[in-house]
Amino acid sequence: MTKNLLSVFLCFFLLGSIANAQTKTVTGTVISIEDNLPLPGVNVIIKGTTSGAVTNLDGNYSIQAESNQTLVYSFVGFESHEALIGNRSVIDVTLQLDAKTLGEVVVTGFGTITKGDLTGNIASIKGAEIANIPVPNFQEALQGRLAGVFVESSSGKLGEGVKIRVRGTTSISGGNDPLYIIDGLPITSGGAIGQFNPLADINFNDIESFEVLKDASAAAIYGARAANGVVLITTKSGARGKTKFNVGIQRGVSSPTRKREFLNAPEFVELMREAGYNNDLRNGFDPINNPDDFAGSDLQFVESRLNRYSGWSDWRTLETDTDWQEQAFNPDAGVTNVNFSASGGDEKTKFYFSTAYDKQDGIMIRNDFERISVRMNLDHQVNERFTLGANLGISRTRNNRLADDNQFNNPIQLVALAPITPIRDLDGQLYDRPTATYYNNLIDSENAQWLNTSFRNISNIYGEYRFTDKLRFRSEFGVDVMNQNEEQFFGSRTNLGLSTNGFARSRWLRIFNYNTNNYFTYINTFAEKHNLEVVGGMQFQKSEDNFTSVEGQEFPLDELRTLASAAEITGGTSTFTNFTFLSYFARANYRFAGKYLATISGRVDGSSRFGDNNKYGFFPAASVGWIVSEESFLKGNDALSLLKLRASYGLTGNAEIGNFDHLGLYGPVSYALLPGLRPTQIPNPNLNWEKTAQFNVGVEFGIFRDRITGEIDYYNKDTRDLLLNVPVPATSGFAVQRQNIGRMQNYGFELILNGAIVTKQDFSWNATFNLARNVNTVKELAPGQTSIPPSSSRFLNGIFIDEPIGVFYGPKYAGVDPANGDALYYLNEELTETTNNFNDAARMVVGDPNPRFFGGITNNFTFGNFDASFLFQGVFGNDIFDGGGGFFAANGDWFDNSTRDQLARWQNPGDITMIPQARLGECNGCQASSRYLSDGSYVRLRTLTIGYTLPSTLLNKMKISTARFYFTGQNLLTFTKYAGWDPEVNADYLASNVFQGNDFYSAPQARIFSLGLNVGF
Amino acid sequence: MKKYIIIAILGLSTVFSSCNDELFLTPFQSIDQSIALSNDANVKSVLIGAYSETRSVALYGGRLQLYAEMLGANGEVRWEGTFNQPREIFNKSIFVNNSFVEGTWAAAYRAINVANNVLGALDVVNEDDRNRVRGEALFLRGSMYFELIKLYGLPFVAGNPSTNLGVPLILAPTREINDDSFVSRNTVQEIYNQILSDLTEAESLLPPSNSFLANSYVTAGQLSRVYLQLERFGDARDAANRAITLATGTGKSLIPVFMEAFNTESNSAEDLYAIQVNTQDPANDMFLFYSLPEFGARGGDVAILANHLEQYEPGDFRLSQFYTGAGELRTAKWRDQFRNVKVIRLAEMYLTRAEANFRESTAIGDTPLNDINRIRARVNLPAKTTLTLAEILQERKVELAHEGHIIHDVKRTRGSINDNTGDLVFPFDSPRMVFPIPQREMDANPNLVQNPGYGN
Repeated sequence: MTKNLLSVFLCFFLLGSIANAQTKTVTGTVISIEDNLPLPGVNVIIKGTTSGAVTNLDGNYSIQAESNQTLVYSFVGFESHEALIGNRSVIDVTLQLDAKTLGEVVVTGFGTITKGDLTGNIASIKGAEIANIPVPNFQEALQGRLAGVFVESSSGKLGEGVKIRVRGTTSISGGNDPLYIIDGLPITSGGAIGQFNPLADINFNDIESFEVLKDASAAAIYGARAANGVVLITTKSGARGKTKFNVGIQRGVSSPTRKREFLNAPEFVELMREAGYNNDLRNGFDPINNPDDFAGSDLQFVESRLNRYSGWSDWRTLETDTDWQEQAFNPDAGVTNVNFSASGGDEKTKFYFSTAYDKQDGIMIRNDFERISVRMNLDHQVNERFTLGANLGISRTRNNRLADDNQFNNPIQLVALAPITPIRDLDGQLYDRPTATYYNNLIDSENAQWLNTSFRNISNIYGEYRFTDKLRFRSEFGVDVMNQNEEQFFGSRTNLGLSTNGFARSRWLRIFNYNTNNYFTYINTFAEKHNLEVVGGMQFQKSEDNFTSVEGQEFPLDELRTLASAAEITGGTSTFTNFTFLSYFARANYRFAGKYLATISGRVDGSSRFGDNNKYGFFPAASVGWIVSEESFLKGNDALSLLKLRASYGLTGNAEIGNFDHLGLYGPVSYALLPGLRPTQIPNPNLNWEKTAQFNVGVEFGIFRDRITGEIDYYNKDTRDLLLNVPVPATSGFAVQRQNIGRMQNYGFELILNGAIVTKQDFSWNATFNLARNVNTVKELAPGQTSIPPSSSRFLNGIFIDEPIGVFYGPKYAGVDPANGDALYYLNEELTETTNNFNDAARMVVGDPNPRFFGGITNNFTFGNFDASFLFQGVFGNDIFDGGGGFFAANGDWFDNSTRDQLARWQNPGDITMIPQARLGECNGCQASSRYLSDGSYVRLRTLTIGYTLPSTLLNKMKISTARFYFTGQNLLTFTKYAGWDPEVNADYLASNVFQGNDFYSAPQARIFSLGLNVGF
Repeated sequence: MKKYIIIAILGLSTVFSSCNDELFLTPFQSIDQSIALSNDANVKSVLIGAYSETRSVALYGGRLQLYAEMLGANGEVRWEGTFNQPREIFNKSIFVNNSFVEGTWAAAYRAINVANNVLGALDVVNEDDRNRVRGEALFLRGSMYFELIKLYGLPFVAGNPSTNLGVPLILAPTREINDDSFVSRNTVQEIYNQILSDLTEAESLLPPSNSFLANSYVTAGQLSRVYLQLERFGDARDAANRAITLATGTGKSLIPVFMEAFNTESNSAEDLYAIQVNTQDPANDMFLFYSLPEFGARGGDVAILANHLEQYEPGDFRLSQFYTGAGELRTAKWRDQFRNVKVIRLAEMYLTRAEANFRESTAIGDTPLNDINRIRARVNLPAKTTLTLAEILQERKVELAHEGHIIHDVKRTRGSINDNTGDLVFPFDSPRMVFPIPQREMDANPNLVQNPGYGN
């Protein structure tokens, strides 16, 4: 370091003192400040000329120049450096990193900005940082990497939805997902058939960068659709130069992160007989000691059931002991990825082509995911003024899907079957009811199929015309076509096709969404100190959704699976719906003297979704920034190398409601094949968007010459006019009415720390840490309304003023009465008295599904040719309700197999336990209560990668430029107190704004070990 | 340059103004409420909409019948399924958040609201059809209140019906949610007054024949049930007699082979009123819970116990309905999928007429002995020569078993139900045999008062 400083110092010292000019050869080595390693490919140009040289692989250069000339060294990502030659013939240069936090280019809506000039809050990540993570969609790859962006996949089922919340939940009844925009086009991100995730259509190896617009200043340019944040996705484009090819291949194996423990055959028999016998004793019979009491006793009933459930085998001799859970998991789960790309270009034309094949064999049986994708991005400069380009992305995904978590044919529901039940009968056929307690969904594996295919084309073209250097006009037109098809067949042995000789359904969905952006950009500098950039224009989007479905039954044989073979078509429908947005927007960024910053923006949004009285809304925002470290009193200070303060305030909206919620409607019904009409919706002509006013204040800092940089933000989002499905008395004939009513607040902070901890030549270590805290509070509901209590008897999520959305509300479990084994609940909120009558129990807030903190820490290492990185991701302070507990953790309430912890049930007076006495069918504690609630915090080794890059000496011989082998593991370690399958869970059939943090036979996440190779040439 | 800019601005403003029109879209699967009630054909469609509400599984599509059987289980049938909602009812230990109890409440009031909408739009209905449409809407509304009051209030014969709380009475369509939407409960007496008014008027307006929809004899049959609850036996007798006379006059008759009266795809000669079920509209919760997987149902959630078989005389052909499946005895009355749900069979009318004539010592229509022997003859039982009230009621019990009658007959005759172990006896007026007002409704409407025994 000292040596480098010295050489820089010398350069300045010698400047101007050398006068004689003669041509000579100058040589030297360029190294990077980052790791003190040679930098290949650095441009070394004689200032004021076009002649120059490029450093070789060892960072060396050689150039002919004169003594009075100056050399300019430039390289992407570094500050350019100038050196007057003087009488030197050797000039070694150390390039300084482009102050990362200031120089990085960040994509904003309808433009870009350097990070240094940004006054809003945008979280940004390069696609390269998540390349090769073996997950089916980019959302899961972003988990833990962006401050304040909460990501949760509902379960380990492939192709299903992922919940993303940017700075908390703003809406109770409307959408809470961010707006997704790819290359300027708002894409379809929901509304697919079943739980299918439309974002899984996107090959994220094609993505250059993700930007998440979090505060109002950044997001208000998207007006009525920005309250939940905006995710901007930019795809890769080519670069001028030699065509680069890249080939990657990756293979891996997957397994569930955890399995639960269930009773084995002897334990099951013991618990069930005990449950029946306990009933008998309580009823004054003793069928064990008085054989006369046996007939008609519950014990007899239990034993007759055990006879039935054990099929050909004898439960008394424990002939069968089936581990049903094991049957639900796929022993051959794994991942495969093959990808190829080519990029390059010349002066006028640049291109990026790619194709990829991704295949995931799920950890659950009957579940896999396959994506084939192609991309072609092209930019062409027609002349000095006119540029045009196109981004074409096409993909096909195929997803063998599973039923919702609450369906009998969800594989995990096999755990309900009795361990005394053999899998197959003596003829080798799978047992079904009545021998199996419930439908044995292994039959689906043999006799059903459920395939979802999606064809996706997300493409756009643009033209950009430069009137002058200062003014340009850009027009973009994009289409997003999602064509989705679901083919279901359930054969004559499945529960859905049993009575009808098979059942099939074919569903088709096409969502055609087109969008145009047309805007001017004006950039000018006045009097050298005033920098101004103004953007203004319009956007129009229309989305059209066509759906058809046919179903039929009575198939001649199970091998004929399409509806052509159905003797009876039992149902069919086709529907059409659409929505539009018409918007006008403008934004001005102003910078004074390189250190005082201001941005104002505004957008007018109109939508078909809003009531006739409120067609258009206006969404303004403003922000200011001050780069304190550019002031003379701090400039050049190494200890505090960067200090920037910024603040923003603005209004955004949420228009994610139904397309026609403002109308009073009658919908079609039929009775006995006669057509009918009935009221479906109460009108509300005043209905409009939810309004979120957000205040944000942040500080960015860098210390020790930006060795450590960071950002701290505080925000307060106040959402008003909530689109609320207000429950109304059912005696009105309606259950809810959608109103703009209510208020919700989210406030919190975000902390980001980046550190270049070690920057030695052969060893470097960088770390990035992010942590976010969000406090969500429901502030107001309808006038006079203090709560929207749980709407389900099995789950506890409700809405209460001054509590976070979706808190768990219900009776608080007080354990077991040691005297008699009764389940007890608290009678009052003070928790001083208990009752064994569930109906008398006080209902209260017993938990919260919203995390208090979440974040991640990423570490990147290089040592020689090796590299390694790992990401620990954590979620803290949330609770999970295990909704299946009422079936499998209900102390032998029914014949569902129980988790092993139920063996701790109360048996004798004086027993101290949390598990009540086993009583068949009496629901002794099986009701939804805090009994099934537990802490859902976890820390997870989300990703671990170890790579080895072959040395260039070896590669040169093979004529390839790079080659890297790597290992990547996903979800390798999980630390949690949650006793269920996996703490990252959100039962799919329930998942909604209010129903969060529920587990209901939900699949655990996949743990993946994979090996890969990337070769570039 | 200027020229291009002007052209561009002109072009863009044309585009933008057409974009603005795009902000006014209308749905394709629904229509505005003003159109729905604007003409004759539409109002008649809304009337069908009212039938479709009453047809839902939460009502006549099966659960109304199931509730009666579970409340009246009496050690003769057993709920064995996983659904906790019927099990709670079977145990007479119902939780206030029971989703079946909530669903039936909401469905009944949806049906009432649709009926009220029809009644409020009669002036656009063709004059020729106006009486029929009005009669059908009144029949549906009166029937819904009748089903609600039997479940959510104490029986009419228990205590003082003028002070006992019934259910809220709503007679106008809901066009908006306002203060009037937060209703209170009316008394049992007030509800029955409205039921009698609706059904009596409906019977006078309806024709004797109206395909499978409500007609005059269906309404008379329903009225006979109401009068039995009120212990107005003379009126019950007359209503049943009118139903029999009108129905047999239009070709209805007892089906000679008892079991052929069940599992029919369309209305049989014996059906006065049945919910139409087909593959397009397949829901039938009695089938779902009573039948077996091999017939397309659940795992056999209701078992018939030995106690029940003892109710039949030896040689009774009705015993042929019982078969063994999934390890227990089942009734075949609900065996097959996609079959109609019986609501009123002609046999019930004979039994009602017999009972009421017997109680009133009259022989309107026919003698009690003839009516009872008519029922007995087709199931191979010897004719009676003398009768007691108990015998009439027992004949009624076994003839109509598993069809959703038992608890309502027990309540009106001030009987009682044994609990599943035989230890506890629930008298006819036990609050545990009355449903709670659903918790959701209590939460949404502070003006409601909960039933006794369900907290506050």
